[in-house]
Amino acid sequence: MFIDPKAARKAQLAEILETMCEALELTPTQSEEAEKRYNAVGRWLGEDALLAGAWIYVHGSVALGTTTKPLTKAEFDVDLVCHVPHGTRDIPPAILKKIVGDRLKDHGTYVRLLEEMCRCWRLNYAGEFHMDITPSIPNPDCGLGGELVPDKELRQWKPTNPVGYRKLFEQRAMLQPVLRLLKTERYAADGAVERMRMKGVLRRIVQLCKRHRDIHFADNTELAPLSIIITTLAARSYEQCARYGVFDDESDLLISVLRGMPGFITFDGSTWWIPNETTRGENFAEKWNAKSALAGAFYAWHGKCVSDLERLLELVGRDQIQKSLSDAFGSAAASQAMQPLTDRIGSDRAARRLAVAPGIGLTGAASSSAGTMVRPNTFFGTD
Amino acid sequence: MARTDLPTRGRGAPPLTAVQQLVNLKSNPISEGVGSVRLGKLTWQFTAQPDPLSRVYSALIQYQQGGVPKVYIREPDLGALADGRKLPHVYQQNPPQLCLYLPGTGEWSPSKRISETIVPWTFLWLWYFEEWLASGVWKGGGMHPSPRLVDRRSQADGGKG
Repeated sequence: MFIDPKAARKAQLAEILETMCEALELTPTQSEEAEKRYNAVGRWLGEDALLAGAWIYVHGSVALGTTTKPLTKAEFDVDLVCHVPHGTRDIPPAILKKIVGDRLKDHGTYVRLLEEMCRCWRLNYAGEFHMDITPSIPNPDCGLGGELVPDKELRQWKPTNPVGYRKLFEQRAMLQPVLRLLKTERYAADGAVERMRMKGVLRRIVQLCKRHRDIHFADNTELAPLSIIITTLAARSYEQCARYGVFDDESDLLISVLRGMPGFITFDGSTWWIPNETTRGENFAEKWNAKSALAGAFYAWHGKCVSDLERLLELVGRDQIQKSLSDAFGSAAASQAMQPLTDRIGSDRAARRLAVAPGIGLTGAASSSAGTMVRPNTFFGTD
Repeated sequence: MARTDLPTRGRGAPPLTAVQQLVNLKSNPISEGVGSVRLGKLTWQFTAQPDPLSRVYSALIQYQQGGVPKVYIREPDLGALADGRKLPHVYQQNPPQLCLYLPGTGEWSPSKRISETIVPWTFLWLWYFEEWLASGVWKGGGMHPSPRLVDRRSQADGGKG
């Protein structure tokens, strides 16, 4: 049996990154809990006379499957839209927002959780979620089924399209890039790689970028690129890679997608432009045009993110890898990512199924056919 | 794959000669390396990479027939990697000599193949060493006994360390 050490390395790193992302995201139980809660809020809002027929849906990272545990607070952000289908531009945004707020205040539980934000209402489930509810109305000018939401000052309606955005993201995430080494004998059956494929590499890339950003901008969060920017650029770059590229494996794809991200930003000398492709008139880079430091901060972060991940793929020594993960993604995330391998070595050893295989090193084995079994021993020592 | 055709030797089995140990080390792909036996003294140098993400270590086994195998790590410099911290589970810090088994328990005995005991334990030690570098905690278990006990165990095993 020939084992390519480089492929074995990359497969293990892919597993580590996969484990880390899993530990960073909402658990299935938390997702169900969130869904139960916002559906209940949706029913409550929809029963209001003024909001008749309104419904709630989730958008943002929860809808896209790209959640990452926030660094400094316990609550995940759950972004919700309260869509009022009979709403028109004639209703001032501030009024519609007030109607939604008044209805929430009528509820014994919600009134206690309620916090007013710029253009939305927040239900603060302490320790669990921040559910941000933004009112929206149909956008008759958008041929793609877009909606209108209040701008920050609550003066105007501005175009957006969360439903269309999600659909496009999901279509892109389903694209299967060509991976040459996909079917290497040993790793085809690898659980983590399989899991990664199910979740989709795109979602993992978005999670890695977002977490890297959170760490990178921990001390100056006001310069951090928006999640929607990272998500949009990653999704477009992923699509390009998936359609036109050929890659050795997931990590090769990961680096190429990262490298390609800035290619979807346009700058004409005065205006930065990262369009929402699913509606007209929404520029995710709008803030960059008011504050040019944001563009510079994006490029500085992006360069660091690419080089950190490239370096990680070349590092030798588990301790070095853990340190590098810790610097890039946080120490808790790094230890969580490495822990399952430590546990596996420990349990395989205890169960006497640990072996040393040539070209692989320590590996769990059902029988000695995979190599030389590691017999029970007690590390000793006088020094 | 090189595998034992013989039944596992128990404590009562006759000791293997240094030359037999050499032949076993040569024929097992996990201990691929170079070595020799001179005047009953085996020297074997091999490389060990505990897993695909680990460093490649150069190890040296010395074994005088009738004594106990001594395992040293030649490269890289474990002391430098530990950056001033004292290495756990070694008989000596420099050059690091690994303590891989509990003397007197039969985990190792002269009738057992070095290639199937000492060598896999070296891989395991190095794996836990890198884990220790990262976490500061030795997760491989074991004992750090009192000097008196060590003395007794060493005598029982007919050799030092």
